[in-house]
Formats: sequence, C-alpha cells, structure tokens
Amino acid sequence: MKLHEYQGKELLRQFGVNVQDGKVAYTPDEVRSIAREYGQAVVVKAQVHVGGRGKAGGVKFSPTIDKAFENAEKILGMDIKGLTVNKVLVTKAVDIDAGTEYYVGMIVDRNVQSFTLMACAEGGMEIEELAAERPEAIIRHRVDPITGLRPYEAREVAIRAGFKGNLNKIADMMVKMSQAALARDAVLVEINPLFIDADGTPLALDTKFEIDDNAMYRHKDLLDWRELEAEHPLEIEASKYGFAYVKLDDGNVGVLGNGAGIVMTSLDVVNRAGAKPANFLDIGGGAKAEIVYNAVKLVSKDTDVKAIFINIFGGITRADEVAKGVIQALKEGILTKPVRMRIAGTAEEEAKALLAEVNSPLIQMYPDMFQAAEAASRDANSAGEAK
Amino acid sequence: MGILVNKDSKVIVQGMTGREGASHSRAMKEFGTQVVAGVTPGKGGSDFEGWPVYNSVAEAKAAHGANVSIIFVPPAGAADAVLEAAHAGMPLIILITEGVPTTDMMRAVQEVKALDAISRANGGEGVRLIGGNCPGLVTSGECKVGIMPNKIYSEKGRIGLISRSGTLTYEAAKLLSDAGLGTSTTVGIGGDPVIGTTFADVLPMFEADPDTDAVVLIGEIGGADEEAAAEYIGLHMKKPVIAFISGRSAPAGKRMGHAGAIIMGNVGTPESKLAAFAAVNVPVADTMPQIMDMVKKALNIQN
Repeated sequence: MKLHEYQGKELLRQFGVNVQDGKVAYTPDEVRSIAREYGQAVVVKAQVHVGGRGKAGGVKFSPTIDKAFENAEKILGMDIKGLTVNKVLVTKAVDIDAGTEYYVGMIVDRNVQSFTLMACAEGGMEIEELAAERPEAIIRHRVDPITGLRPYEAREVAIRAGFKGNLNKIADMMVKMSQAALARDAVLVEINPLFIDADGTPLALDTKFEIDDNAMYRHKDLLDWRELEAEHPLEIEASKYGFAYVKLDDGNVGVLGNGAGIVMTSLDVVNRAGAKPANFLDIGGGAKAEIVYNAVKLVSKDTDVKAIFINIFGGITRADEVAKGVIQALKEGILTKPVRMRIAGTAEEEAKALLAEVNSPLIQMYPDMFQAAEAASRDANSAGEAK
Repeated sequence: MGILVNKDSKVIVQGMTGREGASHSRAMKEFGTQVVAGVTPGKGGSDFEGWPVYNSVAEAKAAHGANVSIIFVPPAGAADAVLEAAHAGMPLIILITEGVPTTDMMRAVQEVKALDAISRANGGEGVRLIGGNCPGLVTSGECKVGIMPNKIYSEKGRIGLISRSGTLTYEAAKLLSDAGLGTSTTVGIGGDPVIGTTFADVLPMFEADPDTDAVVLIGEIGGADEEAAAEYIGLHMKKPVIAFISGRSAPAGKRMGHAGAIIMGNVGTPESKLAAFAAVNVPVADTMPQIMDMVKKALNIQN
C-alpha cells in the first residue's frame, strides 16, 4: 500500500524523525486559513500516489496567504498522470539556500535478501534517474533485518555519502527511519529531500512510504488510509475476489490463467501473436466454477477487451470447473466476446464434453496455448478494425 | 537419485491437518513419498488419517528420523514454522505458503543461513530452506515434496528443472516428458523477492548429480537472480543449461502476480537477463516448446 506524503511523514514522526510541519486541506479556503495560522511562506503540495508531482505543477511555493489560496485553486482538481488531486499538504516553506538537500532511503533489496540503505549527497532528484545515470553517487549499505540499522553504521554511511552537518543527529534520523521501515513492514521509505540547515540539524521535507501488502494484516490501524478511488475500478473489484489483477494500457485481449508464471507467459504469447494484452489476471490455484465465472465477468466489463484468452494448466485446478464457469457466464448473457482457451491437465476430457454440449461459437478450445492466443488475437484485432 | 530428495527421504508435514496440508499429504503419499508424520501445535498425540501428529517438529523428527519438512502454515505463522524446523535441525525445509510478509522472510532466511553455517562448521549436513511461495520439489518416480500434479512426474528422466513459477514448472515438466526426455529433479524456488534458495544455489547440485545431463532454467522478470545464475554457469558449469524468461512483454513498474516479478528502474528487465545468458552462451528459448529442441540439440539427441 502506497502512502501519501503526509501519511508517511506521520509514521516517521511517530518514530521520532524530525519532520517538517504541515497540514492537509481539501479546499482553497482551508489552505488560506492554514497559511494564515503559519504566518509565513508556505508550500502547497498535491497529495496523489504518483511521482513527478513537482514537474507536473502540483507543488507550488506560496510567499503570501493570497498566493497560497490561488495555488490551491490551481492544484486542487488538477489531473496528474490520470489521478485527480483532491487534497493538498500545506507546509511551512524552508529557505533551501540556508542549508543543503540530501537523499536517504531504504528499499527491500532481493540481491542482499534484506533492506538496503541508500544515501546520496544530491537530494531532490528522482533517485531512479540518478541510479541509472550515476550509480556511483549513491552509497549503499545492507541493513541487518534482525538488529536494524545501528548508529555506527549510519554514521559511516553519512560520512561516505559526504553529508555535512551534525553527524550524530543525522545518524539518529537514519536509525529512526530504519526502525520505522522494519516496524511498519515498508517496501520502500525515502526522505527526499533530507534538508540539513545551517546548524547541522536534519529535517525531512518530503517522504515516500510504501507498505508490504502481505503484512497489512498487522497494520490494521492504517487501513483507513487506503484510497480505493486512486485505484482502477476493475482492480478494486478484482481485489474483492482475491485475484492478482493488473490493468494494462492499450490492450485488446483479456488474459486469464491459473498462476502468475503462466499468465505472464500468456501475455508474451499474445504479444507474439500480434495483439496486445489488456490485463493480467491470475485466478490462483484450485479455482472453482464460481471464481472462473467472476473472473470472466470482470474481464468482460473492460471495454478495451475484444476477445478473451484463457490459459490453464490444471494441477489442483480442474478443467471442467473452468469450463463450467465460462458456460455460466455465457448462459447469463455476460459473455458477449469470444473466449479462446487452452485448458490442459486435470479433467480436460470432462471440460471438452461440457463445451461440446453447449456448442457456442463464442467459446472455442485449442490444443495448445499458441493456437488459442492466436485465435484470440485475431478476433480482437478484427473486432478493432470493424469499428 | 536426483538432488535434494529421493526414495529414502522421510518427510514431515507442518500444518498437515489444515485443508491444503491434508490434501497434499495424501497426494504426496499417493506419489510414493515417505510421509512419516504431521505437526500441528495443540493436536499432538492425535492421529490424522493414519499419520501420527506431533506438537513440535523436534518431537516428530526424534520419533521418525525425518529429514525433510514441508510447510503449509498460513502466512502469519509461516516464518516461525521455518525457524522451528531449522532450530530442530531439519536439514531440508520447503515453504509452500504464499503471501508471507517480506520482513519475516528476510529474518528467517538470514537465521537459516547462520544455522546452516554453524551446522556445517560442526560437521553437520547444514540447513536448507526452499521457498516460500514455491511449488516444492520432485525427484521423478521417487519422491515429491510439493504440490505439483503427480502424473507428469511418474517417469524418471535426465533433465534437471529449476523455476521461479509453479505453473510454468508443470508446463515445462510435461513438455519434457512428452518429448521423451523427462526430468531428474524439479526444484520450484518460488516467486517472492526474498527466498531461501536461488538458481545459483541449485545449479552446482545439478552439475554434481550423475543422474542429470542438462538443466532447464525457467526465469522471469524482476530481480537479478537470472544474472547471478548466468555468472555461475559461465564460471563453473560443464553441463548444458537452457533458459526461458517469462514476462518479457510486461510493463515496467507493475507487479505481475508474483511479488518478485516487477521491473524497477533498470533492474529486472528481460534485456539484462537475455544479455547475461548470451554472454555465457546459454541459449534462451522464445517459447516453451523451443526448450525441447534446444535441449535435444545440446545433448546431440536426434528427433
């Protein structure tokens, strides 16, 4: 689960990180009263779950109360990469020239089978861009997942990264960030920029915080922060059924199968056949007819989908259950697009018999995944041309 | 014999009395695996379909001389179950459970590795974890400790198979068996970002196994495990390896079902994996059926 900047800051504050003051507002009038309360220049920052807010015009310095109101009017309601801004964070502005901006962050790093702490003397920049252009500028250090980051390690990393300021205070901030990351099951935590003022004191100006979805059961206090409106409506519906579902751009073939690996390969096969997958849908293992029915219903709702490719290798999943689910969708009139399937494995013969009984041109079975994908791709592409 | 497990392996099932644990215990028994006992805390002393159930791994191990444990415990208790087995001195632990929090896995994997080092330093056989979020492993015709369909692994073959994906493992095993090649041992290493055993850990076992002639490696996007495998192959492997990479058309930044299958920045891209295999002359199949032709070519087998 991705957190907004203000939520990430709240978690870091709970662990003792020195975080810049700020308040959330939903209307320009609220922004005005916060600016008045602070009595100084403020920054109005869009709260949306995408990067590059600044470049998109979603972060604006506001020297006066009127300017804060004006900026709030511009930012609230604006569209950033497909997401509507419905709230802003108003923070006290910091005189950037009176200090230095750095970067610190922690990510789950599979190469070291733990967290890696990253520190860089160049703050404010997108870290992924920096990592691509000048990887040597980023200092990396594996964090022990059992002990967490120790102060001496944090000092060493700060020194190696060339941070200037009060070394003990900077290291203390990094240690507290590490404690927050481990305790809150973060996948990623960033403080960027990490501002160090003329006295050498560190202050978190902006944060990114993402929590491991598998661990949400032990962070139920944060569930209220989940914003369904920021997700694709079909992804929300998919999560209700427990499917792993990803909506893909510019696709025309709905793709579903039993297992992440087989669905990933199904996407590749559709591409190879000259069409574009519209989604990734893993129905999981051992799916019964009802689950398949729900999956077909979900994919059919996507108006981009012109044909559906179902790829099943049945182990604990029974082919006849898959067939029953598809047939139910057909009988209820939900299925209006061609379904091309490859179903191998457990109860394959029973599935064939059921489909033969229904004998609908909308549902066809093929002996291998390539033929099924080719048929679905052909149908999807010709449906597009017919338009 | 194959690697890791064989007909002499004695298996206990942690979480045997749960729904998944029960059905897969039966399927493993049908396969011919020596399933000797179950472990369900609180149900010790009872009997489950003819198997004795114990409260702890240590008790089950002591009573039956078990040397493999397979875990079907739900995510919240899965890492704890791994540590229990590791501390009981179980040399091989297979974690099937999907959805275990990553921080739990980081801690468990680190502790298992420490225990492994201590065991080996003292002349013991070590501790190995496979998974989580994996289908387990099978030495064809001898022993299955996992959730794969039994049918495709009844015949012994001479191709080692390693994969991050469950369904693609079945797919590849079936293709190998239909092509008359068959598998020696299949190891599903799992689709999570933090796992106990990687490709590079399994490759030396296949290299040393007299029953394996070639290895098929099924990778996917995300992480750098395939790159590490390629490096190992280039330095140490004499047996041919054929690779396949799933998810080559997946967009960057989207997590494709497996927690580990995500391209972040320039890490985990198909291009980097293809380049790593090309650099050590490992052929990469574009489609799964091509794998069979490549294996036959590498082993000079006529069609």
